[in-house]
Amino acid sequence: MTAEPRLRSARSAPVQPGYATGERLMRLPSFWIVIALLVTGGVRMTMIAGRFAGTYPVATTTAIALFALLAVPFWLVVTELDFLEREPLALLVLAFAWGGLVATTVSLPGSAALDDLIAKLGSPHLAADWGAALAGPTVEEISKTLGVVAIVLIARAQVNSVLDGVVYGAMVGLGFQIVEDIVYALGAVALAGRGDHVEPVITTFLLRGFLSGVWSHTLFGALAGAGIGYLVVRADRPWRTRLGVAMLAVLGAWASHVLWNSPLFRDGLGNGALALLAVLVFKGLPPLLLIMVLVRSAHDREADYYADQLAKLGDPELITPAELEVLKSGSRRATARWHARTRAGLRARSAVRRLQRAQARLAVELSRGTPDLGRWCHEVRRQRRILARLGHPEATAPEGKGPWRRTASTVFTTALAIAVLWAAISTLGGG
Amino acid sequence: MGWVTRRQLTNLLGALSLVAALAGIAFGLPAFDRALPADRPVPTDRPYVIGGGVTVVPPPGARIDVTETRPTHDAGTVLFRLGPVRYLITVRPFDGNLPAAANRLRRRITGTSGYQVTGTELAVATGTGLAGLQGGYTAPGRGGRYAVFVADGRTIEVTVSGADLDLGRILPAIDASTKTLRYEPERPQ
Repeated sequence: MTAEPRLRSARSAPVQPGYATGERLMRLPSFWIVIALLVTGGVRMTMIAGRFAGTYPVATTTAIALFALLAVPFWLVVTELDFLEREPLALLVLAFAWGGLVATTVSLPGSAALDDLIAKLGSPHLAADWGAALAGPTVEEISKTLGVVAIVLIARAQVNSVLDGVVYGAMVGLGFQIVEDIVYALGAVALAGRGDHVEPVITTFLLRGFLSGVWSHTLFGALAGAGIGYLVVRADRPWRTRLGVAMLAVLGAWASHVLWNSPLFRDGLGNGALALLAVLVFKGLPPLLLIMVLVRSAHDREADYYADQLAKLGDPELITPAELEVLKSGSRRATARWHARTRAGLRARSAVRRLQRAQARLAVELSRGTPDLGRWCHEVRRQRRILARLGHPEATAPEGKGPWRRTASTVFTTALAIAVLWAAISTLGGG
Repeated sequence: MGWVTRRQLTNLLGALSLVAALAGIAFGLPAFDRALPADRPVPTDRPYVIGGGVTVVPPPGARIDVTETRPTHDAGTVLFRLGPVRYLITVRPFDGNLPAAANRLRRRITGTSGYQVTGTELAVATGTGLAGLQGGYTAPGRGGRYAVFVADGRTIEVTVSGADLDLGRILPAIDASTKTLRYEPERPQ
């Protein structure tokens, strides 16, 4: 007798998708306390923005508009991380608001005080060299991580995988990053002493938006969030292990932030755009790679579980065996959409996307044990009929097709990103 | 009347812990910071390195405020306190000329609510020949003096502020100190 291969999700901890948040949430004391904190943070940040807006109205409007635009692609990428079990919009907004209003509000006085303490207990030289590297990360990573803890407190059922922790952590970090960037941009306007000019805002946008944007708070927040996700989800592990992993993740986020802010290699790799680019990559790439590996692992584990749920249906109209394999991987999902577009046009591509979403939603409802799945099955069948009418009945891609195009697309996107970075660095005088 | 469930109680405790942690960062750290003294004695018989290759001899009786003093390789700030008078010197990279630097400093001063530049600017020079511009400003309950110098891609900004009576008594010593500002470019290795 041979043992059945066990799923990764079964080997670790069961995936338990949470129910939709609703009235139950309002009966929790933490919900109202978090709302009060958000209102307090909102008032504080509005007062700061109001002061700048009174003196520099054009620069303030430009900064808010530019960084709000910058938030859009980040938001889309973060929400796509957990394609199979998407987080409720209300909680994503809450996480973003925590980062932008609460974490920033407490970090402003906290970081300044810690920076002063480094100067008092150490020396002004130490504070000048390492103050930004030690004070900011210490205070900011704690206040951002508390945002993920707040999400756990008010919607524990919605944090059911490490990936959920990553998504909420990244969203808290994104909120922090955007608001902090706006404050920095307006600080640069004030420091320039040229009145209501937008050049310092543009410079800050290039510097903090493009050069630092990819490996900034969103990334650090995601890393810390993964730790909180592990702490909450892995009930199969001893309490000490879970706490240890969570602390390690927060420490990792802190260390990444310290490395990024540190004076190391400030002058070490020479002058010019290439040297600056090398420093950016050296300091930013390790946490980026780490979080990519974490996301991949957490996603695969979750996908593994949901695919198993759908396989039990045994209904090829809902999902075929080939589509099951496609649904498990982000790159295969993208290839299937690309194949639908090249074979049957843009409408087919959209229909494949909707079908994949409907299948994912059906898997989540199956896992929840929802008694009546009619609504979700109906949506899958509807998209299947649309695809059949378009002459593309199955949302898959032939084996071997697609990867080279995706590789080419990735190479092109990376080259474009490097070109934009290069242009930004040169514009800022690095070249 | 509804009962408070055990889950709600645990939830409340968790949320209060969250608030306590935030309060610790927002209020606890600043309170601890305020509890420790910020000023340190500084030798007034030899040049003090501000940063960016600029030095100054502090006025007699000055103490350095470490919370606003940050010396770095290409820039720097030092805040001397002489009783209630603040004597702040800031060195920053700058690619303009002296009038542009003075204009920038004036705008920053008047950018603070209630601050007004007074009188006309005078040409001044340090003992090492650095040319600068000097002016005065007023603020609610305080007066002030500013001076700005430009040297080799750097601006050296001096702002002095305090109550008028204190300023009148201490300004001669500060003027003498400002005259000792010296810029020494880093020698190539």
